[in-house]
Amino acid sequence: MGHEDTRGDMRECGAVATGGRAVPARGGVGVRPLVVAGKELKTYLLDVQALFFSLALPLLLVGLMVAAFGGQDEFHATAYVVNLDRGEVGADLVARLDAAPGIEVELLDEGTAARRLDRSQILCAIVIPPGFSDDVKAGRPPELIIRRRGTGGREGQIVVSYALGLTREVAGEHLVAGRVTEVLAGMGRPAARETVDARVAALFAEARAEPPVEVVEEAVGARAEPVAIYLPGLVSMFALFSLTLVSVGIVEERKKGTLERLMTTRLTRGELLTGMWLGSIGRGLLQILFLLGVAWPIFRIFTPASFARVVAFSALVVVSAAGIGLVIAALARTAEQANWIAVFFTMVMTTLGGSFFDVSGARGVLGVASRLTYNFWANDGLRRLIARGETLASPAVLTDMAVLAGIAVVSWAVAAAFFRVRADER
Amino acid sequence: MAAGTGQVHERGDAFVEVRELRKVFDGITAVDGVSFTIQRGEIFGLLGPNGAGKTTTIRMMATTLPVTSGDVIVAGHSVHDDPAAVRRHIGVCPQELALYPELSALDNLMFFGLMGGLTRAEARSRAMENLELVGLADRARHRVAKFSGGMKRRVNLAIALMSRPELLFLDEPTVGVDPQSRNHIFTTIEGLRDGGMTVLYTTHYMEEADRLCDRVAIMDAGRIVALDTPHNLKARLGDPEKVTLEDVFLHLTGRRLRDEG
Ligand SMILES: Nc1ncnc2c1ncn2[C@@H]1O[C@H](COP(=O)(O)OP(=O)(O)OP(=O)(O)O)[C@@H](O)[C@H]1O
Ligand SMILES: [Mg+2]
Repeated sequence: MGHEDTRGDMRECGAVATGGRAVPARGGVGVRPLVVAGKELKTYLLDVQALFFSLALPLLLVGLMVAAFGGQDEFHATAYVVNLDRGEVGADLVARLDAAPGIEVELLDEGTAARRLDRSQILCAIVIPPGFSDDVKAGRPPELIIRRRGTGGREGQIVVSYALGLTREVAGEHLVAGRVTEVLAGMGRPAARETVDARVAALFAEARAEPPVEVVEEAVGARAEPVAIYLPGLVSMFALFSLTLVSVGIVEERKKGTLERLMTTRLTRGELLTGMWLGSIGRGLLQILFLLGVAWPIFRIFTPASFARVVAFSALVVVSAAGIGLVIAALARTAEQANWIAVFFTMVMTTLGGSFFDVSGARGVLGVASRLTYNFWANDGLRRLIARGETLASPAVLTDMAVLAGIAVVSWAVAAAFFRVRADER
Repeated sequence: MAAGTGQVHERGDAFVEVRELRKVFDGITAVDGVSFTIQRGEIFGLLGPNGAGKTTTIRMMATTLPVTSGDVIVAGHSVHDDPAAVRRHIGVCPQELALYPELSALDNLMFFGLMGGLTRAEARSRAMENLELVGLADRARHRVAKFSGGMKRRVNLAIALMSRPELLFLDEPTVGVDPQSRNHIFTTIEGLRDGGMTVLYTTHYMEEADRLCDRVAIMDAGRIVALDTPHNLKARLGDPEKVTLEDVFLHLTGRRLRDEG
């Protein structure tokens, strides 16, 4: 206790001795966390391995998704047609076939068609024989020649039945025109066949343009695209995975002594924590923007507005994941421990939270357990935004956001309470 | 208690005063009642075998390790009561390299400079100055991870100088450094001392301490066993021209290996 009494005068001498040499305070409280965050981001962008795991790996998974769900495209086929007819009816048939949904016509000459069939380069060719137009116009049943290898292939069969239907349509229209000419003549009001043909063709064209059948498409289930289920799962999983692994780096820094060294500068513990948190958030945002940006053109599941909503919601997802990462950094004693906790935690949360299967309807123990995970709320919100087109103002999405914000606040508080700068603290 | 063999200074001269400093880690007393003062502009050596408590003492003086009891007053501020004020006066070059290997040397220095309250422009120019000082200006933009051990040591030192501290803690700055680099570091330190900087220096190389230090304290098992100028310490054993500081050190701390327990 003897030293207590001398403290006062020591201070005074110290102050005198110090003079004005101390570095004046500058670069206020607000800037330092941002500088720390900037440093964290720079380190991340310079780390090839981290970049690989956080950017390339998600990309790989998106690729797998494309491979798995890419086959669900609409029907598409090429019709190989040899048109030997010189009249307009054959040309009309070709035009109608080309206009059919999912079918594209490629015109070949007879020799090429034969050669390609021979080499199995194509499995089916439709030949419109010479005199096709004349037959149709004369009301005789026209001939259509189908050349095929084996069954002609599934696409070939569909194309052929389409072509047959269209031929029937074309022939029928001309048949009707012929009959109309006859009927008019029988009624004593003869008309030129050309005039009748033109009039009848116009009527049929009108009917085709506005078909008397209205098709109502009913999707069963809410936009059943698997992408809309798995992409949110990927986003929440990767945010959690990479941001909990940030803790490993922080624990290493603590062990190495850089955190302790920073405490000899003007940086406060709170600023340090805030800076690392912001850095982690920046990292997560970069990652998610990348993932969603890649997914957009591939899966075409976004409009600019829905993309913006998803990004805004994802920002909250990232903020809460960053908080969880800080908690792990605060509690783990060694880098291995942090690594192990991060991986285990991510796996359990991801599975329970329904990144790979939809648990939103789960009841009982699983229902309760899944609601205890961050992923559940992240996935639920993202799926609502992506698959159901809900907005940030929808009550369910607002609930998700409130829970994520709650996770962020609680994790921040826990991290702030337990975070250690030195390896031998406490 | 200190051996009390040091010169008696008037208290008014003391820039740093260490008072009855103690640190107990889970029952292990690492520092056991250490007291000394350092004058402004002095290079003060803290010597001692492994585990003597040098690093623990420095960490307490540099405000990063709470004291168990006792206090350190730097420029009139208590590390215990006003650590933020103490930090404005100090620079620390820790024994373990504390830097960011993924970043360039320049980025490392600038980062710590910004943390010390410099503006970006100041941090950049001072970082370049410091790299020049430690002979690494041409490697400024290279990643520290690619540096040799000696180069990393010099970056470690250059970081400590970013705040142009009045009091510089150097905890074994020359470990694993070749004679050329070491010589460079010595000249750097002497230059800083001539510029008015106060330095606390620890090393296991006695000839370094002999060359650089105005006074040395020899610590063993958490206590100071001797404190004087190198010359006076050598004179205690015999002819100061013939006796080395190492002889004094071994005489005072014994020949028993420290890790034999
Ligand atoms: N964080 C800690 N927890 C427990 N014991 C510690 C801790 N830090 C140091 N010690 C103990 O305190 C004693 C002094 O250690 P310190 O590192 O201060 O020695 P030193 O003089 O710097 O040694 P060296 O020359 O090897 O660097 C040692 O017995 C050491 O084991
Ligand atoms: Mg040491």
